[in-house]
This record gives sequence, C-alpha cells and structure tokens, in this order.
Amino acid sequence: MRNLASLVFTAGLAFLLLVIAAQLGFGEPPMRVGGAILEQAPAEVGAANIVTAVLLGYRGIDTLGELSILFAAATATGLVLVRGRKDCGHGTSDPPGGFILRTGADLLFPLLLVVGFYIILHGHLTPGGGFQGGVILAAAFFVLVLARPGADGSGGTSHTAIAFIEGLAGAGFIAIGLWSLWDGGEFLAPLLGKGVMGELLSAGTLPLLSLAVGLKVGAELAGLMTQLAEQPAGPQHPHPQAEDRGS
Amino acid sequence: MSAMGPDSLSFVVVMYVGAFGLLVIGAIGMVMSNHLFRMVLALVIAEAGANLLLVLSGWRDGALAPILGTHAADVPMVDPVPQVLVLTAIVIGVGVQALAVSVLLKIHRIYGTLDVRALRRHLELDICRDAGMAPEGSREAPAGERPLPPPIPVADALRTAATDQTGATS
Amino acid sequence: MTGLFSISQGHSVLPVVLPLLAAFLMQPLGRVARPLALLLGPATLALSAYLLIRLWLAYGDAPYALAIGGFAPPLGITFYVDRLALLFATAVPVLTLLFWSRGEDDADPLRRDAVMLLLAAAATGLALSGDLFNIYVFYELVAVASFGLVTLRATGAAYIATVRYLLLSALGSVLALVGIAIVYLQTGTLSLAQLAMLAPDALQNPLGLAPFALLLIGFGVKAELFPVNTWVPEVYATAPTRISALLAGLVSKLAVIVVVRLLVLAFDGTGATQLMLALGALGFVTGELAAWRARDLNRMLAYSSIGQLGLVFVGFSLGGTAGMLAGLALVLHHLIIKSALFALATRWRGALARLTGAARSAPVSAGLVVLFALSLIGVPPLPGFWAKLLLVLGLVELSTPLALGALALVLLGSAVEANYLFRLVVRLYARPDDASTPALPKPKLLDFGVASAAGVLLLAATVSVVPVSGWLRGVADQAADRAAYIDTVFPTTLVQSGAR
Repeated sequence: MRNLASLVFTAGLAFLLLVIAAQLGFGEPPMRVGGAILEQAPAEVGAANIVTAVLLGYRGIDTLGELSILFAAATATGLVLVRGRKDCGHGTSDPPGGFILRTGADLLFPLLLVVGFYIILHGHLTPGGGFQGGVILAAAFFVLVLARPGADGSGGTSHTAIAFIEGLAGAGFIAIGLWSLWDGGEFLAPLLGKGVMGELLSAGTLPLLSLAVGLKVGAELAGLMTQLAEQPAGPQHPHPQAEDRGS
Repeated sequence: MSAMGPDSLSFVVVMYVGAFGLLVIGAIGMVMSNHLFRMVLALVIAEAGANLLLVLSGWRDGALAPILGTHAADVPMVDPVPQVLVLTAIVIGVGVQALAVSVLLKIHRIYGTLDVRALRRHLELDICRDAGMAPEGSREAPAGERPLPPPIPVADALRTAATDQTGATS
Repeated sequence: MTGLFSISQGHSVLPVVLPLLAAFLMQPLGRVARPLALLLGPATLALSAYLLIRLWLAYGDAPYALAIGGFAPPLGITFYVDRLALLFATAVPVLTLLFWSRGEDDADPLRRDAVMLLLAAAATGLALSGDLFNIYVFYELVAVASFGLVTLRATGAAYIATVRYLLLSALGSVLALVGIAIVYLQTGTLSLAQLAMLAPDALQNPLGLAPFALLLIGFGVKAELFPVNTWVPEVYATAPTRISALLAGLVSKLAVIVVVRLLVLAFDGTGATQLMLALGALGFVTGELAAWRARDLNRMLAYSSIGQLGLVFVGFSLGGTAGMLAGLALVLHHLIIKSALFALATRWRGALARLTGAARSAPVSAGLVVLFALSLIGVPPLPGFWAKLLLVLGLVELSTPLALGALALVLLGSAVEANYLFRLVVRLYARPDDASTPALPKPKLLDFGVASAAGVLLLAATVSVVPVSGWLRGVADQAADRAAYIDTVFPTTLVQSGAR
C-alpha cells in the first residue's frame, strides 16, 4: 500500500516536471529584477562582485535568515548530541593520525586560514565571500581535529571560543544593520560611502558584513563538525527500551 | 537575444534534464527507501536537483559571471539573483542535513537500527507506553476505542494495560 | 508617547531582528552572566510584543511597505505590514511567551531558549515578509528550529518522530524551491507585489498552477495539509506538550497565512482554489476520522488539529472577502482553542482512559474542555458556530459539484467530530473507579491561566459577535485587496518601468 502510494507520488511528480519542462523557455530568462540589479548595483552598492552586492545588500535579510538557520541547526545538534555524551563517557575509538598526517595538518592550518580570510575579505571584488571563506576556515580547524582524533585537551576552550565567535559574529551582522536603522535609514542600508570600485576598502559596510558572515559560518560549521566528530560511533549502549522487544 | 548555437542549446537541455532527473531520482529514493540514512542521501540528491534548476533559471546564452572589471563592459552577464538564491539554499541544505545526521546517530545508538519499518513499530510501542495504554491491535486493545459503558470495564482495561506494561518491562 | 523611543515604520523589522540578536548572544552572555542569559529570552519577546502593539496603535489603519536596506521594492526585499500581518506577528511573541518552556526537560536551557527565540523571529518574519524567497528562508528557519524543539524530551520515540518530520519537511522544501525556481523562470521576480502585477499574464495559466501546487505542498507540511501531514500525530505525541501547542496553535497558522497570501496575490485562478478546496475537505474528514479512533489525548488533539486546518483551507479557498473572512474566523478560533486545549493537556497527556472522572479533581478545567468542545463542534451561540456557518454558506453559494462534495464531507466530518468530543466530555464526567485510578494531576497554574483566558476570550467574542465580526471583516477586506497591496509597495506608477 505504501509502495503503491509512493509510486503514484513519484510518477505524478515526474509527470508534473515533464509538463513544466516542455513549457519552459530554455536559456532566455526574463531578467526583470536581475537586469535592473545589474544596471543599478554598481552605483547603489559599489561592489564589483554583483553576487555579493545582492547577497549582502539587496537580499541582506535573506542572508541573516540563512545564518540563523545554520545557527539553529548547530544549536539543535548540540541539544540532540550533548545530552547523550554524559551516559557514555568514552571518547572516540579512532586510531591516532600518525606523524605525516599531523605534520601535514599543522602545515596546512595557517595556509587554509590565510586563504579563508583572503576569500572573505575580497568577497565584494572577486568570486567568493563570507560563505565560501567561512567554509575554508571551518575546514582549517577540522583538519586539525581529523589529524588528532580523540585529543580532547583543548576541547573545552575551543567550544567556548566557538560559542563566542558564532554569537558575536552574528550579533555584529545585526549590529551593523541596526546602526543604519539608528542612522535614520532602513535596517541593513549600506553605510560608510562606496569608495572606488575594485579597491579593498570599498562598497561601504559590505566587507564588514562579509567578515561577520565568514566568521559565523566558520564557527558554526567547525562547531557542527567537532560535535559530530566527538560522538562515539555505533550502538555501544543500546537503550534498555530497545532490548526487551527486539525488532 | 542572440541566436543560440546548437552547442549551447544542447548544453542547456542536458542541464535541465539533469536537474529534473536528479529531482526525480531523489524523490524516488526518499519515498521508496526503507533505510533512514539512504533517505537522507536521497534528500541530498533531490536538493542538488532543485539547486541546479534554480541556478539554471538565471543562465543566458553566452553570458559571463556578474563580476565587474573582469571582462569588457558590454559583455552580457547572467542573472545574479539565482546565484544568491542557490548559495542560500545550499547553506540551508547543509544545516538541515547536519541536523538529520545527528538525530540519526542518536536513533542508531538507542535502537541499533535505521530501518524505517522497525523504527515505526518502536515508535508506536513507545508512544503507547508513554501514554500508558496497550498498543494498537494487541489483545487488550483491538483497533478503535470501545464505546463507554462506565465505570467498571474501563478500570479493568486500565488494570490489564498496567499488568501488560509491567509484564513487558520485567 | 511614553515609550523608550519614538516608534517609526522602520522599526517593524525589530520584532524579527531582536529575537535573532538575543539568540546569537545567548551563549556568550551565558558564559559571562548566566542568570541574565536566562532572562534574555522572555525579556526580548516581551519587548517584541510591546513594539508590535505600539506599531499597531500608530500605523494599524492603513497598510504600509518597508524596503529592507532602503533598496526600492522590486530589487530589494520588502516587508508588507497590514492588519493581518500585525495580528499574526503580535500573536507570535505573545504565544511563545505563554508556552515558554520552564525546565520540564533536562535540556541545556540556554540552547533551548535560543532555539525558541529563533522560532519566534522566523514566525514573525513569515507574517511580515513580502518576498517569495525570503518567505522560504523564514519558513526553513521555522522548520529547523521546530526540529530542535521537538527532540527536547530526548526519548527514542521523539528522535524517530523528529527525523520522519524532518525528512518530510525537507522533501516539501525541495518541492517549494522548485516552485520558486519555476516562478522565477516565468516572471523574473520574487517580490510578491510585482508577482501580483505580472500574475494575470504570467501565472494564471496551467503553468502557473504547477508552481502553486509545488509551493502548496511545500508550505503545506507545516500547515498540516492533507497528504503531507503524517508527521503531526507522531510529533505531537512525542514532543513536549507546550511545543505541540506552539506548533499546532501558531506555526501551522503562519504557514496557512503564507499560502493565503500567495493565493490572493499571485495564483488567484480557479485551479488553485479548487486544489485547496479538495485537499482541505479531504484533510478535514480524514483528520476527524483519525481523531475518532485515537486513544490518547495528544494524538486526538493532533488529528483534530489536522481536521481543523483542513477546514481552514476550505474556508480560504472560497475566495474573495467572504472566503478570507471565513478562513480568518476559523484560523483565530482554532488558534485560541487548540492552544488552550494543549495547555490543559500539559498534565493530562496520555491515554484517554486515564481521564475518566477528571471533572472531580479539576472541575473548572473540565468545564473549559466542555466549552471548547462545544465551540469546536459549532453549537450556536459560540464563535465556532459563526465560523462554520460562514463556511457552509460560502460553499452553498458556490454550489459547484466540488463545493457541494466538500460540503458533504464537512458535514460528515463535523458529525464525527461531535461524536468523539462528546465521548471525551462524557468520560471527563463519568464516575471514576476510585480503587485503581490515581487522581489526575491538576494543570499547572500558568497553563490553567492560559486556558481560562482563552475561555474568557471565547465567551467575550460570543457576547460581542457584532463588533468582533465587523473588526474581522476589516482585516479580511485589507488582506483580500490585491490592488492595495500593489499600490502600497509601488506607490507611484513610474516604478513600473522596472517591471517592463
């Protein structure tokens, strides 16, 4: 019965998509909003990378919502995972990383940080931006975690640091938005003048917002990954509920 | 709009077919699979299809990335808005998937399985036990609630439910 | 003006932003001054509610649009604030405060508070936003926050229910995203106002019905719409009852409001309303039948909530001011009653058999249940009667075969609903068997207060039906006015040059 319903559903979906695909014009988008943004963004925002201008300018509150979703996912993951850790107080059982892996990770770490910050700070000029750079920052920290599985010497401090960075970076994004509200404009309106397009210090508050996004995304993803990495694998402690009835 | 060459036409057709194909494959995987982790993977595939479709909605023949200063000013550029939307959608997807995986970890640790059918049975039994009543379809509680002849038979049912419960946990 | 600062229209964004700010600051503040962090959540929500009420008093008469970031409407994101938006935006912080979790579970309170704040912010955003993709973002934030909250009891069953809910919701989101992509391909815009301008040419055709169907399924997951509501009983039976109250009472309504906005503004062709009518009627009758079979209180309330929301969809599908009025009346009625019933259920969760004779230990609570049941069934002087009457009259007036079929289903469902609600009431007042049934705990004072307030509100609405319905008609008029929406967002026609 369930399989039949599933089949009907997927067949319906496939048919619907087929009909839609037959009607769509290929490769000739109306460009209504997009075209207007391409024309006006250089004057209104002053960023060479128009994608970033849309991301942090025209659709800035979308980006705030997106940051909040990552934050919600990380917090909810914490709610789910942290509670169980007390019951099974043993760390991961992964083997140690070995000399080559650890040295390679130590060498990569500063390089990844530099690349990450470069991409974040040049988000308004070149391809990239807060999200892309933030992911690289998170990767930098995660390389360290991967090379030293079960090393929980710095676990407490790094959690505190992550909590502070993710909280304050997100608050910074909102603070910049509120600043322009205070200034008499609308929430998240651009400030600080546009500068000369193509220079590092241009496009007003965009680089600052980009930095906040990068730090937040980096901290969020690093937190998510360390939380998952600290989980013991497999059903080592089956719940008493599961035992008395089997499946 | 400039005339579309055969190459770019076939490119965009392949891309659209890919987007719709990924969507359908993902949807089939999600509704037909009986393993929770495979369902999450199918979700990732379906999201990839949706994202591809979204980014295609801004594609123009012969247009370049919307970054000024990297090419001549009169070259047409693609619509920047879908690129932003897709970036947002990808990040949202990552958050949801991470949360899903962490809940799966927890389920696997508690029940030792990720099989949907087994977990549905567990779910029904656990909800009934939480509510303090016999599971649906068992001897004490055939499907549906009996009409009320108060008060003694109800108390009996409660008592049998209670003994059933203690019998199950001991 | 006795406020902290003078209010302006630009402050309409604060009820969305301030809870986000508080949620972000929760962990850092918690490591510096924990007691302060524990107070942060309720304080922020109280401030949001205060701001919204001030906005209501200052600007509640005429709708206005707010361009976020100061970017002119079709390019940037706009918030659209009319009475409907203000009504539901104000309901968000108020209800979240009333159902604020107070340590019933052993979860980390800072994390829990942060997720609650995120839920409130996103729900407020859903009520205010006037941009299709922005709505999607807020909807996803509501979804992720609610996933976190329904795991709070940390039982295995809660995790299973959560992951099933998550997968269904994520599939819905993918479909909604496809719908958004198709709308963007067709129209090249995401602003609801501009969509409303372009809709007659671009969307009111078979190709427009497809994205509406996709968006309806996508947003329908939270709105407990018929085919995608399988998560509802599982989640409401395993989540903390307060969270169930929030999801059933508030979040589902906001998803409905989003669908209604889309319907009114962009997809007002007959196909869309017929789809909603059919799904709503099916949802009502299946929900009520399942509620009839349910043996525990939480799942009975969950199925009943599915049924009521089906009725809401039927109401809104009638179209025009009449449909809007019927839908709004049903939405508010259900919001008040289902929140109150779940508030009473915080201590009464579990098998219905346990409730036998509960009227003895908690006479007032049982009386309230009777009142709510009567209003849900639609017994004449109570508000539920007027809401259902509007619906039935609308269906009769429409009198297409589909509408008459829906009418039959609605009447059948109502009969089933009356049957199981009377059964519940009879059980409450049945003579308990003292020997074996332990005395049922009374509801907590605050939950009892919430339920009593809802009862008083219901009775007040019964007495003053005429002014309440007049006020509601005003809200409905504004919400159903597509031309006003366009004019408010694009005050001068010269902006339409951007809409070539």
